[in-house]
Amino acid sequence: MKSLRWTVAVLLLAPGAGAQDAAAPRPDAAAEPVRAFLTKNCLECHGPEKAKGKFRVDQLDYTISTKGADERWAAVREQLSTGTMPPKAKPRPAKSDVDALHAWVSRTSIAVETARRAAQGRVVLRRLNRVEYENTIRDLLSVDVSLQDLLPADTADHGFDNVADALHSSSFLMERYLEAADRSLNAAIANGQKPWVFKKRIAVRDEKPSGDCYRKLDDGALAIFSSWISANICLTTWQFTARFPGKYRVKISAYGLQNPGKNATFYVLAGSMQGVTEQHLVGYYDVPNDTPTVIEFVDTLEPNNTLRIVAEGLPVTPPTVQKVGAANYKGPGLAVQWVDVEGPLFDAWPPLSHQRLFGDLPREPVAKDRSRFEVVSKNPGADAERILKDFAHRAFRRAVTDDDVRPYMDRVRKKLAENYSFEQALRVGLKSLLISPEFLFLREKAGKLDEDALASRLSYFLWSSMPDEELLTLAARKQLSWPDTLRRQVERLLEDPKAEAFTKNFAGQWLSLRNIDATLPDPSLYPEFNDGLKESMLQEPFLYFNDVLKNDLSVARFVSSDFSMLNAPLAELYGIPGVEGRSFRKVTLPPDCHRGGVLTMAAVLKVTANGTTTSPVLRGAWVLDRILGTPPPKPTVDVEAVEPDIRGATTIREQLSKHRERPECASCHKRIDPPGFALESFDVIGGWRENYRSVGKGEAIRGKRYKKGPAVDPSYAMPDGATFQNIDEFKRLLLKDPDQLARALADKLLTYATGGAPSAGDRVEIDAIVRATQPKDRGFRTLVHEVVQSRLFQDK
Amino acid sequence: MKLDRRHFLRAATGSLVLPWLDAWALPGGDKPRQRMVCLCAPLGLHPAYLFPEKAGKDYELSPYLEVLKDFRNDFTIISGLCHAGMSTGFAHQASASFLTGTQGAGRPGFKNEISLDQFAAEQMGGETRFPSLSLSGEGPGLSWTRTGAPVPAATSPSKVFAQYFLADSPEEHIAQARRLADGRSILDDVGVEAKRLRSDVGTDDREKLDEYATSVRDLEKRLAQDEMWFKKPKPKVDAAPPQDIVKVADLLGRTKLMFDLTHLALQTDSTRLVTIMLGGSTHAPPIPGVTLGHHDLSHHGKEPTKLEQLKIVETETMKTLRDLLIKLKESKEEGVSLLDRTTVFLGSNLGDGSSHAVKNLPVLLAGGGFQHGRHLAFDPQNPPPLCNVYVSMLQRLGLPVDKFSTGTGTLTGLQ
Repeated sequence: MKSLRWTVAVLLLAPGAGAQDAAAPRPDAAAEPVRAFLTKNCLECHGPEKAKGKFRVDQLDYTISTKGADERWAAVREQLSTGTMPPKAKPRPAKSDVDALHAWVSRTSIAVETARRAAQGRVVLRRLNRVEYENTIRDLLSVDVSLQDLLPADTADHGFDNVADALHSSSFLMERYLEAADRSLNAAIANGQKPWVFKKRIAVRDEKPSGDCYRKLDDGALAIFSSWISANICLTTWQFTARFPGKYRVKISAYGLQNPGKNATFYVLAGSMQGVTEQHLVGYYDVPNDTPTVIEFVDTLEPNNTLRIVAEGLPVTPPTVQKVGAANYKGPGLAVQWVDVEGPLFDAWPPLSHQRLFGDLPREPVAKDRSRFEVVSKNPGADAERILKDFAHRAFRRAVTDDDVRPYMDRVRKKLAENYSFEQALRVGLKSLLISPEFLFLREKAGKLDEDALASRLSYFLWSSMPDEELLTLAARKQLSWPDTLRRQVERLLEDPKAEAFTKNFAGQWLSLRNIDATLPDPSLYPEFNDGLKESMLQEPFLYFNDVLKNDLSVARFVSSDFSMLNAPLAELYGIPGVEGRSFRKVTLPPDCHRGGVLTMAAVLKVTANGTTTSPVLRGAWVLDRILGTPPPKPTVDVEAVEPDIRGATTIREQLSKHRERPECASCHKRIDPPGFALESFDVIGGWRENYRSVGKGEAIRGKRYKKGPAVDPSYAMPDGATFQNIDEFKRLLLKDPDQLARALADKLLTYATGGAPSAGDRVEIDAIVRATQPKDRGFRTLVHEVVQSRLFQDK
Repeated sequence: MKLDRRHFLRAATGSLVLPWLDAWALPGGDKPRQRMVCLCAPLGLHPAYLFPEKAGKDYELSPYLEVLKDFRNDFTIISGLCHAGMSTGFAHQASASFLTGTQGAGRPGFKNEISLDQFAAEQMGGETRFPSLSLSGEGPGLSWTRTGAPVPAATSPSKVFAQYFLADSPEEHIAQARRLADGRSILDDVGVEAKRLRSDVGTDDREKLDEYATSVRDLEKRLAQDEMWFKKPKPKVDAAPPQDIVKVADLLGRTKLMFDLTHLALQTDSTRLVTIMLGGSTHAPPIPGVTLGHHDLSHHGKEPTKLEQLKIVETETMKTLRDLLIKLKESKEEGVSLLDRTTVFLGSNLGDGSSHAVKNLPVLLAGGGFQHGRHLAFDPQNPPPLCNVYVSMLQRLGLPVDKFSTGTGTLTGLQ
């Protein structure tokens, strides 16, 4: 024991100099021809004398094991394969020598990586990210508490914000964790009296909204005739403001007015209404004309929050209504009959979160403040120990021993000795557990994951949260890793509402949907864009993703499909007739609509463009990375990006052709440009276009502020020479290699599921995953299963 | 230097700062306190409107510099500089490296390093109630820790104001005292846990645990300092607490509030290191003549009406900077203007918002006692590293450094 402690002390003194590094690897004999090659072809300029570009081949690490060595070798390979180096004036090296170098680098890197994994595992110790932390708190404490404003956003790497390497700790983060733990425990522990429940029907007629755009109807309804929210035309339920935080059930009875055969649409906001950041969107709703219809939702409100109903899509501005008077106005409107509010809703008092922590320990008023209650105990030591142990078991996501909780229990005892009350002392212990490394990090040991670690990996993959009791129990029985059990558990987890986290976080990042607000389309070029359309855009890929997942449709359906999930605003943007109302439904796409698959969804087209222009380079690079799994390398030369010109004089195609003439650019652009140009047929909000919209030169268009600019030319050739005329033909070319689509997606799934991106050496394993999906036509749900069954998933 | 307990500071706004400056020991004996404010305009500043044509002392003011004409001898405009290793494809992500100079921002496997202000805070942060202040008008801030983690940036001036200047209620004071004490116990315990786990993992995992342990230790130290400061009353200012601006589009309004706060924080010596991410909203700012969002305008594609609107927005940014400079100039400390003791650095990760260029970044340095009044023009194709400016700034703070990140020495021509 003594010597072990000594070892620890030495390790502390010399970070990074662990025992595993003791035997430094030596270059193998096969490195010699590579060294000779570089000496002959490169040393003159990249040696001690000139060191051009501060790059020296004589300083390369031939074991490819030191930090940054793989990147320097990658640079060597890139220069050689693109033909940028040696420079044109110098003799070309033989292709066989270059190939031999590539082979040696690959082989050596894989060997190094294999050795590293054996000792350390593939992925590094992973901290919970902000979303995972919040979800874990929700499931651990049975509370609904928002921590997003408290915890800093996480840095993403390889496209995902749960990649372990990029998740760092800092004193600032620890400080926030302390605060988050307080907020979470305060939400879980009931220190107050039983809240008074608001339950009332609000007579909307008695609300006095500003502006003369309303009519009081005989059935008690208030009719609204304009959608002009900027002029404050809306109905706010000032008769109700929440006194207590919590969930509230709301029912609204409403119908459309003076618009036979059509639905009326409205949306509901909740918040203090003191400004846009102080309110959130609850949802959009449709109600039929003349038929009172009740819609219902449950929403979380903070004290002082109320509700606001805004009519959507009514065609006129307030002055139009005011001219004839709201009483005589004949146009369409929205009638809101009544609003029922009930809340806060709670399961029991004290709430389940409280009971789950403390069992049936009683609460008593605090001496100094009789309105405040605290949990009390006749047997503080034993009760605290029981509570801490139960909590630690779930917080650490594994079986715990007395030793595991001893430090925390010792602290509680000390606090009790310092005259802390039972609850206050216990809170210190609980808070410590929520700050401890075993809670904040997903602890995994090198080699095959143990059952507990597997349970966590699975639940953080599909729920972005901690494993539930069933997973922990299976892990404790050592049964979770059985292949059939795993399949059943994947199915169970995917069927659970918590799996929405997988859609939101995986698809949301895979398809860059989190960037939907990064740009605001120029209203003079895209007057048809509005918030309602944006909300609709965002829904489509999520709903479609869920459908593909649910029905185990082929991954090829992400590229091309004969259906999508649409509502009226989106169908209108896509030019697809017969879709009414704001609710989404599965729509079979007409053959000539150029839609189907994620590439041609408005949301994806928006996030890959800026507010004014599209760039084939950005969209092309996006498709290569996200869909084909072959991201382009960074530019080998320092070139300024092409500056778009929207004055209507030149097209992006003309501008790019100059750039492509340079050989060092051509090698990548022949891969980047084809998808980019195929998508040129879609504007920045995802509308189809034959011509660019221009604010300068061009033919005037009746009723529009923008002009008809140059024609779009979406045709291009693939790197293998196959040509396409438009997006439809391009998609057909992509579908020729469905295995590549599956490989790309498997790679993304593995990155997201394990918190580490697979490397080149994992190709064999990924191919095996893809092969296993072939009998099911590469179904996406099957792919998720096969990922979970793979060694890459089940090993650290 | 003598610190007079009864030394009253009169603020530019006429607000009175009550004496609270306890005479704690300053490093380097009598050296005056130097401060640093780093600002990033993440969408760049249109180069044609910012950079003067001529280099040297006799340059003609550009449209943007015209706004600062009264300060001509209080600032230096620097053209041609950039950070090495940034790419146009990740020009926005490059804001992460703005104050760190770390190469490859936005690339897979990118790991950030310590930012200029945190580097300084490690050495001088203990001298003030708050080691540093990181603010943001929108989104993440500019400061990064040694472990490559982002320093959370405050976005609510009213909350920072309360934290800096408002006395707690007696109940809150007691609760806070207990939180600090409990926090230290908790950190003590989890630090021990990290050590225990450490013996049981591979070297890569150990690095992560060490990062955690360092974070715990750093916070323990900070809480210890907080406990010390906690016993001293906060400085009182008679400026009214700011009202946060909730309108998303009104970034300039928020910038003004943050600048006012910065001025108060520096004047009361509550902190000496401030970073502010100015933001660039996608929404049209509420400025007459502007109908488009700032981000959209920065992608002007040379369209004249957009350039015109961009000019309006960026001129307003320059005006807010001017107002900050006025306040700092008019505030005196021991007979010296606060501006002479505060280096104000304005720059960007973008050289040109429209082409996403990451070269020829806008760099403006004001105050801090540098010899100003010139346009230092470097060849954009072969400039010295931007981090050389940072070395100059660190030295100005009195820190004995000759290197920082990619910076190899002070910037030639900047004295």
